[in-house]
Amino acid sequence: MDYQTLIRNFSIIAHIDHGKSTLADRIIENTGLVAHRDMKEQFLDNMDLERERGITIKLQTTRLVYKGKDGNEYIFNLIDTPGHVDFNYEVSRSLAACEGAVLVVDCTQGVEAQTMANVYLALDEDLEILPCLNKIDLASARPDETKDEIEEMIGIEAHDAPLVSAKEGTGIPELLEAIVARIPAPKGDEDGPLKALIFDSIYDNYKGVVIFVRIFDGSVKVGDEILLMNTKKIYDVTEVGVMAPGHVPTRYLRAGEVGYICASIKQVKDARVGDTVTLAERPAKEMLPGYKKVQPMVYCGIYPAEGEKYDGVKDALEKLQVNDAAFLFEPETSTALGYGFRCGFLGLLHMEIIVERLEREFDLAVITTSPSVVYKVVMADGTIQMIQNPTNLPAPADIDHIEEPIVKADIMIPKDYVGAIMELCQNRRGKMLHMEYITETRVQLHYELPLNEVIYDFFDALKSKTRGYGSLDYEFIRYEKSNLVKLDVLLNKELVDAFSMIVHESEAYARGRFVCEKLKDIIPMHQFEVPIQAAIGQKVIARETVKAYRKDVIAKCYGGDISRKKKLLEKQKEGKKRMRQFGTVEVPQEAFTAVLKYDENK
Amino acid sequence: MKRKLGIYIHIPFCVRKCRYCGFYSKSCVDDGEHRKYVKTLIDDIESKGSELSGKYSVDTIFIGGGTPSVMDGPLTGEIVRALRRSFDVEDDAEITIETNPKTLDEEKLMEYREAGINRLSIGCQSLDDEVLGTLGRIHSADDFRETFALARRMGFDNINIDLMFAVPGHTMEKWDETLTEAIALRPEHISFYSLQIEEGTPFYDMFKKGEIEQVPDEIDRQMYHHAIARFREAGYEHYEISNCALPGRQCRHNLKYWSMEEYLGLGDGASSFIGGVRYANHPLREYHKNNFRDDTTEFVWTGLRKTVGVSFDEFRKRFGLEFWMVFEDCREELQEFFDSGRLIEENGRLRLSEEGMDVSNQIMSVFV
Repeated sequence: MDYQTLIRNFSIIAHIDHGKSTLADRIIENTGLVAHRDMKEQFLDNMDLERERGITIKLQTTRLVYKGKDGNEYIFNLIDTPGHVDFNYEVSRSLAACEGAVLVVDCTQGVEAQTMANVYLALDEDLEILPCLNKIDLASARPDETKDEIEEMIGIEAHDAPLVSAKEGTGIPELLEAIVARIPAPKGDEDGPLKALIFDSIYDNYKGVVIFVRIFDGSVKVGDEILLMNTKKIYDVTEVGVMAPGHVPTRYLRAGEVGYICASIKQVKDARVGDTVTLAERPAKEMLPGYKKVQPMVYCGIYPAEGEKYDGVKDALEKLQVNDAAFLFEPETSTALGYGFRCGFLGLLHMEIIVERLEREFDLAVITTSPSVVYKVVMADGTIQMIQNPTNLPAPADIDHIEEPIVKADIMIPKDYVGAIMELCQNRRGKMLHMEYITETRVQLHYELPLNEVIYDFFDALKSKTRGYGSLDYEFIRYEKSNLVKLDVLLNKELVDAFSMIVHESEAYARGRFVCEKLKDIIPMHQFEVPIQAAIGQKVIARETVKAYRKDVIAKCYGGDISRKKKLLEKQKEGKKRMRQFGTVEVPQEAFTAVLKYDENK
Repeated sequence: MKRKLGIYIHIPFCVRKCRYCGFYSKSCVDDGEHRKYVKTLIDDIESKGSELSGKYSVDTIFIGGGTPSVMDGPLTGEIVRALRRSFDVEDDAEITIETNPKTLDEEKLMEYREAGINRLSIGCQSLDDEVLGTLGRIHSADDFRETFALARRMGFDNINIDLMFAVPGHTMEKWDETLTEAIALRPEHISFYSLQIEEGTPFYDMFKKGEIEQVPDEIDRQMYHHAIARFREAGYEHYEISNCALPGRQCRHNLKYWSMEEYLGLGDGASSFIGGVRYANHPLREYHKNNFRDDTTEFVWTGLRKTVGVSFDEFRKRFGLEFWMVFEDCREELQEFFDSGRLIEENGRLRLSEEGMDVSNQIMSVFV
């Protein structure tokens, strides 16, 4: 029997809290880790996998063995998808490694927004979707309605969807049988030239970069010379194996299987997700489809906050970069903030995640400046400068014109929201390309939008106007000439470069007013009045004033008051520590993040 | 040579709580409860006395509250007599009692005199009945006038009155009128405070609901500085942020608080600073042993409350170190206050100017 018929490669997709992890745990519990035939030639000796069962396996791509009702031992490759569905590309490549997906739907909640977003991605990869209704144990379970919802909204059959309770462990055997029956087996050419998809990679201190692959055709073993077809680099394979769990070396990996390859690859950015692995001496004719070279689209400055060490931030950024091929950074300085870094991200969400990791995992206090895209500045003398940092914008007199990056955005929404989203895109200087109905209820809009209109909060606005059902994908298409200006902020008449941003002329006033108002609320009172001004060049376009404080005194301070008043003074002193001094004005660190959230109801 | 000690006695009873009051007290005119409380108090006095009288001589006693004068005269006398018995109280000790005009009469004042109370503090707040109503005081302006006159007749020659400004609805005119009359009465000592809206008081609720509005800071400060000018004009010395006195009549007990001198608090809610430890009685129950940093910093920021400020000589004598050596790091932060004239260093002292007092928290917080 062709070994591939006994393999099932699938992922579990679900809306948050619908039970994905619990279900994964149950599947793992109800299967084994070792197949009978694993003891033969493919696996190395001295395996003691069963004792590994004691480890808590938390959602990693795992190879499981299921003994089916028909007596056969099936290999289940449960491929994990990244937590952030917004990182569409990574998710889509993980799904591309599968033949099917188990769609978990909480049948007390029904089909929800993120359910749909995941499903669309799976459908785009032509996966067989196996719906599975979870939380059947709860009194509020509505399995029949949920089945109807699935059929109507997704358009797939659900009448014999397995009913499970991941919490109680019921229905699991039926689910496992359904996986065998409904999810197709891989059908690759074992003898053909090697064609494998990289769907994930991590950096290991001992082994270098470990790439996680799905072999479509051919096979690979230790000693082979592999070629990564998009980056065109060649490496010697030092180890191959499966995740069962943890790395279990094997002699080879072949068509239909999922595993890992180590090849002394030094950096994750050399082994890009979505790339095709083949053999140098017998390369595949064509690459696997869907590869995208991910480039940072959004930049911002990250600076150590007051009292934080520069080196601490540098170390942390370096560590984060090790496992994140799309994250770039390089040193830069700011008159206002001192020494820091200019960092590049896939988008605003990516940036937020990195900043949050710096703060939580590395326990660092950092200041982030306004996110910005890369502008193409065409100088009067014809030369070109690519500017990411607004403070580096050359003097207006020397500039001929500025071009901004334009993206093509694919927006998928339920048809009810077409009007609202068209208005949103129009307000963001968008140009509609075309629109089509994907299904009776699902519409896809194609717009050209300036990237700097997309990076701030376009995605949040899209989600909120479509009650979570909207999804967005975009890619850079070209640079276009635009009326852009540099908006500066002055505190007490002094320019604070950390707040500078490049905006389209049409928005300069609104943005300037917004920033002034926000800063007025955040900057504390000083001994003198503090004028806050937004300016374009010499022209002040918005202004607010922070009044001087007149009274800050404890009227009564007798015996019993001393301890209490001391606490009050200490609190005041603490508050001052969080301030950053810009010339004569003290600005709290929150000010930098506050002016980023530009949330007018556009 | 014995050390000096001030004693503070807390009486947590009132006729009725004023709308703004955040102090530890409750409405209670039940003589039985008063007696019970005083009995416990006297037990404490006796035990503390035997512990401390060898080391300390008592030069000030302050009976505060609540409204100490809500209690029976003789009962109050018992407290003072107990103190004299258990402690080594100096002959010319300053002994103060806080009172409310409505609760004083000739008999009570006589008792006070006999017990040796030589200083009276009368809660006046305002000589305008409308303002008194807003505050929820139990007395009228006339009540105060009568009581003050009575106290003088009874021979009290060291009287303090408390005045309050920046009350909602208060105007500069009304404040000025109260000042004129208060000064004309010529009390030896005047304490003046702007209304603080404290959490947990009826005023706070009214304020939250928008029923009353806080007087803007600018007007508050105008009233403050105007009062100081009037007092000064009339021969009073403005010696602490909120206190004025005729020459030689500063409150010796309160000065201890701003000079890091020792005091013992007795009774519920009273606080002590003795043997380098700050602690508070039930129900506050705080306890903190001061370290060097606590002592030096507290010396500075409480000392800055006094108009004369902090003396570098005294600092050196007390701590064995030069002031600016210890507070080297603060200089930079203090520079803007020196520049604006709010903080003044001269003649070996560091003090706040009158404008400096307005924003004293900003300066004091540098030192904590």
